[in-house]
Amino acid sequence: MAILECKNLSKHYGKVAALEGVDLSIEPGRVVGLLGPNGSGKTTFIKLVNGLLTPTAGEVLIEGSRPGPASKALVAYLPDRDFLADWMTVEQQLRFFADFYKDFDAEKAKEMLARLGIDPAQRFKTLSKGTREKVQLILVMSRKARLYLLDEPIGGVDPATRDFILDTIIRNYNPEAAVIISTHLISDVESVLDEVIFLKEGRVLLHEAADSIRETQGTSVDRYFREVFKC
Amino acid sequence: MLGKLIKYEFRATGRVMLPALGVLTVLVLLANLSVRLLDSRLSSFLTVLLVLVLIATFVAVVAAELMPIIIMIVRFHKNLLANEGYLMHTLPASVHSLVWAKLIVSLVWLLATNLVIVLLGGLSVMHLAQMNLAQLLAGFPSLEELRRMLASVGLNMGDFYLVLAELALIIILSGLVSCLHFYAAMALGHTFTRRKGLMSVLCFVGISFAFSLITNLLGIQEVEYLNTVTVVTVRGGLNVLHGTMGKSFFYLLAQGALLYAATVFGLQKKLNLA
Repeated sequence: MAILECKNLSKHYGKVAALEGVDLSIEPGRVVGLLGPNGSGKTTFIKLVNGLLTPTAGEVLIEGSRPGPASKALVAYLPDRDFLADWMTVEQQLRFFADFYKDFDAEKAKEMLARLGIDPAQRFKTLSKGTREKVQLILVMSRKARLYLLDEPIGGVDPATRDFILDTIIRNYNPEAAVIISTHLISDVESVLDEVIFLKEGRVLLHEAADSIRETQGTSVDRYFREVFKC
Repeated sequence: MLGKLIKYEFRATGRVMLPALGVLTVLVLLANLSVRLLDSRLSSFLTVLLVLVLIATFVAVVAAELMPIIIMIVRFHKNLLANEGYLMHTLPASVHSLVWAKLIVSLVWLLATNLVIVLLGGLSVMHLAQMNLAQLLAGFPSLEELRRMLASVGLNMGDFYLVLAELALIIILSGLVSCLHFYAAMALGHTFTRRKGLMSVLCFVGISFAFSLITNLLGIQEVEYLNTVTVVTVRGGLNVLHGTMGKSFFYLLAQGALLYAATVFGLQKKLNLA
């Protein structure tokens, strides 16, 4: 059974279509790259799956259910911004996640924090941008979720942090879960992707296995992306 | 889930509200001391200082009244309509739980602030009148005395408790409606794609105008009705009071239901986080 299914999913803002007639099905055990230039509808798509937006038409199903409290218990979401309460310490954030998510593994999170030398007693707002992003990723990836939605997880961080983020995603790979990574920094994530979705102006241009693209096009996903989205 | 949300809501708001109430208490105690000292002969410097303490206390009391409202607005915006909303709206909790957690905690702080102000006011009165607590309490009738007083006009303690319960319900409901007034305005204002702050203010003004118009119309009707009522006995007067309080209760309930529905609609159907 597909973890995520979208049927004719559309989202309009007034007369502007941010997403139009998206049909998708994502199976467990896949790492999927949601790729497209700025404004292609990546964040809108992720927000719709999370229930942060209501579709104008069509539907999105997570393990057969529409977005709601039950589906939110299955989805681990990393937005493209600081989303944690800045007055809380890292330790308090850990307890918050443990309180609300049954699938949160606090020990795993503590272990990753210790590996990075992040002091759990520090307040979130006193951390550097890179460290804040690492803490957020650690919290999200310490859940044993069925679907991980990572919106621009490597945007705006230094190469070392990028490596850590991708390493964390691979280390926490779970064959029963699917991971969707939204980004336009394709060369950095290409090695971890099983499938690729190209979004252009709110429509799915391509949904294919990464290996298949490399075989049929004879080039990397990154190069193929540059060809397709050439300005 | 609601219990957990309330716990974190108290934590987030308590870190501001508790110190604020603490400062208010200290200032009122200092003001009481200042009043006592002002009676004696002091240097002009100390007199100015004590007067400043009195002014600061007055300002603190006004600020304390506003504090729970400001905290309520900032918290709702920051936690549900700004970046933290990306976490809160993706928790496995319903929008109803998110709204009720905020409502309950805001109501508690509104009531607690007013209770502290009343208690500190009582303390100040006691101090100014140079009374102790026993003397102050002696001014109130005992339960037995109250029972006799009520019996002398054909009422009983049940009537007394019923009026108290009705008053308590109306106070709680008024508090909830006040909170929902802000919540609905913000939730609706944020459904717009641009100038969400300004649109929230306009929604607040619009809702206030509509409700005050309805309240005035219903108020005029009620006064006209009361003018036609002839009260002969205390029991008759009490029944009229029950009727008016009942109508107020249902009017507040209708207001609350409308504002709650608008808040949930804004957060559930039209959520549009920046």
